[in-house]
Amino acid sequence: MNKIVVTGLGVISALGWGVEKTEQALLKGKTFVGKMKYLNTKFTDLPVGEVPYSDDELRELLHVDKNLSITRTSLLGRAALHEALRSADILQNRPKRIAFIAGTTVGGMEKSEQYYIDFLDIHSDYKTEYIALHDCGACCEMMAMEYTGKFDMMTTISTACSSAVNSVILGANLIKSGCVDAAIVGGSECLSKFHLDGFHSLMILDPELCKPFDKNRQGLNLGEGAAFLVLETETSATERHVKPICRLSGYANCCDAYHQTASSPDGEGAYLSMTDALKSAQLQPSDIDYINAHGTGTESNDESEGNAIMRVFGNNIPPISSTKSYTGHTTSASGSLECVISILAMVKNFIPANLNFSEKIPSLSFEPVKNVVTNVTLDHILTNSFGFGGNDSSCIFSKI
Amino acid sequence: MKTFIQAISQISLQEPLSDQWFSNPHVPQNIFNESIEPDYKRFLSPMEARRMGKLMKRAITTSLDVLHRSHFENVDAIISGTGLGCIDNTEKFLHAIIDNNEDCLPPTAFMQSTHNTISSQIALYLKCHGYNSTYSHRGTSFESSLLDAFVQMKVGDIHSALVGGHDEMTPDYFNMLGKLGYWKKDPFTIDSLKKADTIGSISGSCSLALLLTDSPNQDALCQLNDIELMYAPSITEIRSRMENMLIKNGIALGEIDAVVMGLNGDIENDAVYHQISQNCFPNIPVVWYKHVFGESYSASSFGAYTASMCLKNNLIPPHLLYNSVARSTNISHVLVYNHFQNKDHSLMLLSKI
Repeated sequence: MNKIVVTGLGVISALGWGVEKTEQALLKGKTFVGKMKYLNTKFTDLPVGEVPYSDDELRELLHVDKNLSITRTSLLGRAALHEALRSADILQNRPKRIAFIAGTTVGGMEKSEQYYIDFLDIHSDYKTEYIALHDCGACCEMMAMEYTGKFDMMTTISTACSSAVNSVILGANLIKSGCVDAAIVGGSECLSKFHLDGFHSLMILDPELCKPFDKNRQGLNLGEGAAFLVLETETSATERHVKPICRLSGYANCCDAYHQTASSPDGEGAYLSMTDALKSAQLQPSDIDYINAHGTGTESNDESEGNAIMRVFGNNIPPISSTKSYTGHTTSASGSLECVISILAMVKNFIPANLNFSEKIPSLSFEPVKNVVTNVTLDHILTNSFGFGGNDSSCIFSKI
Repeated sequence: MKTFIQAISQISLQEPLSDQWFSNPHVPQNIFNESIEPDYKRFLSPMEARRMGKLMKRAITTSLDVLHRSHFENVDAIISGTGLGCIDNTEKFLHAIIDNNEDCLPPTAFMQSTHNTISSQIALYLKCHGYNSTYSHRGTSFESSLLDAFVQMKVGDIHSALVGGHDEMTPDYFNMLGKLGYWKKDPFTIDSLKKADTIGSISGSCSLALLLTDSPNQDALCQLNDIELMYAPSITEIRSRMENMLIKNGIALGEIDAVVMGLNGDIENDAVYHQISQNCFPNIPVVWYKHVFGESYSASSFGAYTASMCLKNNLIPPHLLYNSVARSTNISHVLVYNHFQNKDHSLMLLSKI
C-alpha cells in the first residue's frame, strides 16, 4: 500500500502567520486569545482569538489588489494556502493531478451581515458583488484564485467545526483511490457576528478565557484562522525529491447521531471515530503518544470527549491537551489548524499545554497537560475534530 | 468494485416522489418556481413536520423514500451536497441579529442554519453512526458528494451510501441572485429557453436522494462507471479527461448514446455547453433537463437522475431531447456533463446494467 505523507504546511491564526511563528507561540505557553480588535459587534468584551492583522494589512501582506472584492475567510485561506504550497514546492515541481479541498461553514457571512439590508433592497446596487461571494464554494474559489489552472479539481466541505479534518479525509481517499496524486486540504473561517451571536445564543461562550477540561469551564472562546496541509503518496514525494514531514497513518469520520448541537454523554461518535482511526492506522491505543483534543471548553463537549477517550484508552491515557486555549475555537479551520499544531509538536518534540486549567472534571480519570513539555519523543499522535450535528472525525499522524 | 445507482427519489417542481415527469412533465410557467410538496404524513409525524423547515422535510422524505424503494434499512454513509444549506434558517437568524441588534436571539435558527444539518438530521433519523459529510461547492455540490461516495466504495471502505442534492430557493435569495443576473426578466417559453439569446434562467428548488451501492438488487437504475470534477479546465483538458475516462472504462466515444447537459437558457451558460459539445461530443444526441426542473445549486443532481431514467427505460423522451441528432434506439451508455460559471465542471459516465 502506497503510504500517504504530508509534505507541506501552511497556517495563520491568533498565533500569527506561518509555522515558525506558530511553533514559537506554542512553546511560550501563553494564550493569544484576548481583547477583540477588528470584529464589529456590540459584545466587545468577549475574548476572541483574532488573527493579528486587519483586512487591509492582510491584503498588503498577500499583495491583493485593493479593488478586489474578497472576504476575510478567503484572505486567511490565501495566507495559509500560499505557505503550504511553497513549503511543499508542489506547483513548480508538480505531480500530475492536484486537488484543492477547503472547509468552511458560513462562507462570506462576515461581509453579508454587514451589507444584508442592501442585498435585500432590489433597487440598491451597493456591495452587490459580495452576494456572489456569500456561499461557501465562492469563498473556497477565492482562496485559490491566484492559482487558477493549477488545480485539477476543487471542492468545499461544510460540516461545521469538523470541516477541515473532513477535507483531510476526502483528500486521503482521493489519493488512495488513484483519482489524484496530491491534495491540498484544510479549512478557513474568520470571525463573524453571525457565529459570535449564534454561539452566544446557545450560551456556550465563556466570558473569560476558556478552560478546556476544567471542572469550572463555562464555554468556548471563538477564534479565526486557516490551515492547509499538502498530502501526497510517498512515491510521489520521492519522485519529486521532497522530504516528507510525517505520515497520515489513519483517519475516520463517524456520526454521533444524538442531537443537533449537543454531544452524547458517552461520546459514542467520538469513541467510534477514534477507534476507527486507530483501526485504519493499524495501531493500538497504547501506540498513541499525544492527543490533541477537540476540547472546546463547553460543558457538553469536554465531558463527552473525555468519556470517549477513557473508553478508548482505558487506564493508559496518553498526554492530552486542547490548544483551543491558545487560539480560541477557529471553527471550520480548527481541524486542520490542530493537525498542523500536532504535527509541529511531533516533529519538534514537544507537547503544547492545555492553558487555564486548574481543576479536574470529577467524572473523568485524567487531567490535561498543564505546562508545555519539551524534549519528548512522539511517534504517533491523534487529533480530534467534532462538529455540530455529531460530525466527529479523528486523524492520526506518525513519524516517518 | 462496481458501483450502482439503486434508486432515486425527488421533490421539485415536478410531481413529488414520482417519475411521472419522465413521460408527462409539468411545464414550468414562472421564473420563480415552488416545489410541489408531497403528503409528508407518510414519512413524518405532524409534530416532526412542524418542527422542521421545508428543506429538512424534503431531505428526510426523499431519503426515507429512496431507502424504501431500494429495500435498504440503513446505509454505510450519508453524504449531502447543498450550495446554500438551510438558507431559510440562515436568513431568519440574520434578520434576528439586525432586528434585535444582537440581543436575545433565539438559538434554534442558528442551530439549524449550518449546512451539515441536513446530513446530520438524516443520520439522527436513521440512527446511522457511519460516515457523514456535507459538500457546499456551488453548482457541483452534488457531484462532490457522489465523488466522495464513489471513491470510498472503490477503496472498499463503504458498500452503500445515501447521496443527496438539496437546495431551496427562498424569495429573498431569489431576489439577491436576480441582482447578479441569474434569472430571466421576461416571460419565456421552452423554445425561447432553447434559443438562449438573453441572460438568466428559471429557478427551482431541488431535493434529490440517491442510493449508491456495490450490491444492487434487480431493479437498480444503472451503473455509475466514473465521476470526475474539474476546475477551470481548458477545452483540450476537458476532452482529454473525457477520453481518458472512456478508455479507463473500456467504452468508445461512438458507443455513447447521449450526453446530458445543464443547458438552462442563459446565453453565457449555454454557449459553454455548445462549445464543449462541438469539440468533445459531436454528433451525439444532447439531452437537457433544467427546462423541466429549473436552476439551483443542486440542479445538476437532476442530470444524473435524467441519465439514469433514460438508461433504465431505454428511451430518451422527445421533451428531453435538445437537438435533432438521430441515434440508435438502444440507450447503453450516457455521459453527464455539467459546468457552473465555466469554472466548476463535472463529468459522469453511466451505463445500463
